[in-house]
Amino acid sequence: MKNREIHITVNGRQYIKTVPVNMTLLTFLRDVLYLKGVKEGCNEGECGACTVIYDGHPMNSCLILAAESDGKEVLTVEGLADGDQLHPLQQAFLDAGAVQCGYCTPGMLLSAKALLDLYPHPTREQIKKEMEGNICRCTGYERIADAVLLAAERMTEQHPHQ
Amino acid sequence: MLCEFELYTPATIQEACQLKKQGAKIVAGGTDVYVSMHGGTKYDALADIKNIPELSGESFDEKDGLDLGCLTTHRKIETWDVIRKYYPAMFDGCSHVGAVQTRCRGTLGGNICNAVPSADSIGPMLVHDAVCVTEGPEGEKRIPLCYFFTGPKHTVLADDEILKRILVPVPAPNASSAYIKYTRRNAMDLALLGVSAYLELDGCTIKTVRIALTTSAPTPIRARKAEEYLTGKEACTEVFTEAGDITASEGSPRTSWRASKEFRLALLKELTLRVLEQAAARIGGNEQ
Repeated sequence: MKNREIHITVNGRQYIKTVPVNMTLLTFLRDVLYLKGVKEGCNEGECGACTVIYDGHPMNSCLILAAESDGKEVLTVEGLADGDQLHPLQQAFLDAGAVQCGYCTPGMLLSAKALLDLYPHPTREQIKKEMEGNICRCTGYERIADAVLLAAERMTEQHPHQ
Repeated sequence: MLCEFELYTPATIQEACQLKKQGAKIVAGGTDVYVSMHGGTKYDALADIKNIPELSGESFDEKDGLDLGCLTTHRKIETWDVIRKYYPAMFDGCSHVGAVQTRCRGTLGGNICNAVPSADSIGPMLVHDAVCVTEGPEGEKRIPLCYFFTGPKHTVLADDEILKRILVPVPAPNASSAYIKYTRRNAMDLALLGVSAYLELDGCTIKTVRIALTTSAPTPIRARKAEEYLTGKEACTEVFTEAGDITASEGSPRTSWRASKEFRLALLKELTLRVLEQAAARIGGNEQ
């Protein structure tokens, strides 16, 4: 069987699609659903540019088949904002100057979201460890860590009891 | 796109074994298989075993220890409080596999069956005396992990057998463990060399010790001569240093583009000393 029908939820929306079994989730998201925020970097699970949140966990979409994603829930950078309201992480990346060329940014944002879901008040060390799978060649990482700390602070102010 | 292949999703172990016998490549997390396919490796068929219920699930009790499905992810081991308390070397190992994305996807069973000498989860499981539960047409077998590897990328698994679960006994009360991985960078790097140790003390005397070496031989191995030397000795820096020299005589690291044989032998001595000191410190609750 060289094609599979999958039922998949991406950014809250349900899709039923028939996909070739040799298509990665990365290619599916970019070329079938046209979610171009998911970036292809190394295409071998090293750089983190293609990171998505897959059933609650950050994963490299280049190392997942679309065909094995039946019943799965995926979040890409396109699903982070709430309408015109940027996610606090996106706003913090802008405010802290954590974006230069921007190619790694979608993956960084999703790894950062997974991190804050697990540790709402992270230390700088936790940020470094949890985001070690995302490579950035421009920023030197410091401002990315600043942005995650800033977002954590703002999210705590918005929801002080979490 | 990857090369063209047939994708099978067996629902039972028997079905998976049959597909494997017919030549299908077994795939779990895919962090090795898909990487190699992106690099040009071709398979006619893949058998994705993630939908077989008996291969999932983890449990622990203070009598029987850990019972881990082969699909247990490195991330589960990294974030499970039981592991830090009873099996700290496994925490050290699994929290240093690739990066978070790899650890959320990659499985212990995959790390074992891929059977490379640099696998970070294997040394720690070797020193904790893990046992592999395999299944095939002849039924279930229990094989100690230390007898599981027959060569680089080769295991004792027959063409129609798969790894099902991994059992890890409870450590003794006055025991602890550690794994030190030497890499050139902190994330997404293979172990240039690694040493794991499990240490049980009776006062200051070493009652039981197991040492395992990573990237030091064609397969992950135990350093039996060093273990023999250490048993019954006092746990102190002098003895641990001597054990390092013995360990270096047991490993057979090679020169590769990552490091020379000589550098790896020096690492074997130093890391053996350090990992034994770390395990000893953890027993006393004195870890820095």
